Amino acid sequence: MQRTRRSAIAAIAAAGLGGVAGCLGGGASGDDSGGNGGTPIDQHPATAGLTDQPSLGSVDAPATVVAFEDPSCPTCRNFERNAGARLRSGPVADGDLRFVSRVFPIVYPWGKSAVQALEAVYARDGADAVYWDLFAHYFATQSDLNGDNVLDRTESWLASNADLDAAAVVADAESEAYDFAVEADLDAGEAAGTDRTPTLYLFRDGTYVTKASGSVSYETVASALQL
Amino acid sequence: MSGAGRLTRARRRLGLPGLPSSRRDLRLVARTVRLVLGVPRYAAGSVAVALLALSGFVLSQNVALVRDTVIGGSLPLNARLTILVEQYPFVGTSYEPAAGAMLVVVAALTGANVAVAAYHLREHGVLGRETGEDGTGDGERADGQASAGRGTAGNAAGGAGSVVGVVLGALGAGCAACGSAVLAGLLSLAGGSGLLLALPFEGLEFTLIALVPLLLSLFWLADGMRGAEIRGCPVDV
Repeated sequence: MQRTRRSAIAAIAAAGLGGVAGCLGGGASGDDSGGNGGTPIDQHPATAGLTDQPSLGSVDAPATVVAFEDPSCPTCRNFERNAGARLRSGPVADGDLRFVSRVFPIVYPWGKSAVQALEAVYARDGADAVYWDLFAHYFATQSDLNGDNVLDRTESWLASNADLDAAAVVADAESEAYDFAVEADLDAGEAAGTDRTPTLYLFRDGTYVTKASGSVSYETVASALQL
Repeated sequence: MSGAGRLTRARRRLGLPGLPSSRRDLRLVARTVRLVLGVPRYAAGSVAVALLALSGFVLSQNVALVRDTVIGGSLPLNARLTILVEQYPFVGTSYEPAAGAMLVVVAALTGANVAVAAYHLREHGVLGRETGEDGTGDGERADGQASAGRGTAGNAAGGAGSVVGVVLGALGAGCAACGSAVLAGLLSLAGGSGLLLALPFEGLEFTLIALVPLLLSLFWLADGMRGAEIRGCPVDV
């Protein structure tokens, strides 16, 4: 009898914990079963075409973060406000970290238009800084943007804040002139196992360390990369 | 007969457990939880399960990170511990305060749920009798027998409700914690990705929904324990 009771309790506990593991495992990232620990940075799928990507910091920095983000994603906004800002003002500014941006528009529909505009800006000569400022503008005004107004507001912001032909950038975004760049990022993200945003791929001394998803803290990234 | 009356009759005919309908029912749940958690080993068990559940919720969101840096890799111990604790609400930045608070509440309710279910199973003879377990006395056993004999519907519903509550609670909390990207994916699979736009709290609503089965299962457990005693105190007063 005692054995039956203990078996039943064990079964209930196992069912509950199994539920926790099973249900929540579904929310975890794609390559969690394997991992790419030790993979050289130039062979990791997240870094395909890395030299063509917007980045901050020294290319010779000992650590690299490749961040897949969606301008319409609230979790990305939180990450940028917390860890992103501290990484850029600290290790990136100090030459210890290179921060690479890749777009991964999967949350709200307006994010797809926004990343077309971002890629159109980045394609302009000398507009690297505008790319980062526009990305920050999208996060800052996230709650006001939607599919109907995002490109109009992008044009207004560019006209006021950048030395670019704002109308031409928006025309390129509407015609998806730089969709190949968006697709390259999406392909790289999917090949690396990205299924949510933000997802960061962390590299140290030219070797893959790990990936982190969500609004992870500065301390998490700094500890993982020994910054 | 009113619609509510017909529903009640249908529920009884099908042997389904009742729903809390008065303030007295809520007091019953609170009293049952308080009495069970007054037993030190069940309180410790509840805390352990709650921590386990919370860890399951938060660490499963970054399995690769935990595997590569906390469990594996070559980082010093302090870096591993930093990464580990930074994944929890109110320590790291992964959860907004509201989402973090909801996760903690779901985890605490999960712990209380498992503790009450375990107490009911072990001490009230739902699945048999264990003698001299913690010196709670014959009176409790007699009440347990009375409870078991009074009707199995409440007990069965409590036990099943506990499992359903824990599993659904984990699912609900997990979905909220996954972030809106996963939620958008799930909703688009169901043909309703536009629903995401109507969720003002970006998925936190799912955690709120998770509270329902957890609270219901606690009520069903407490309901099944009516007439019994915990630590010499009657459950239902």
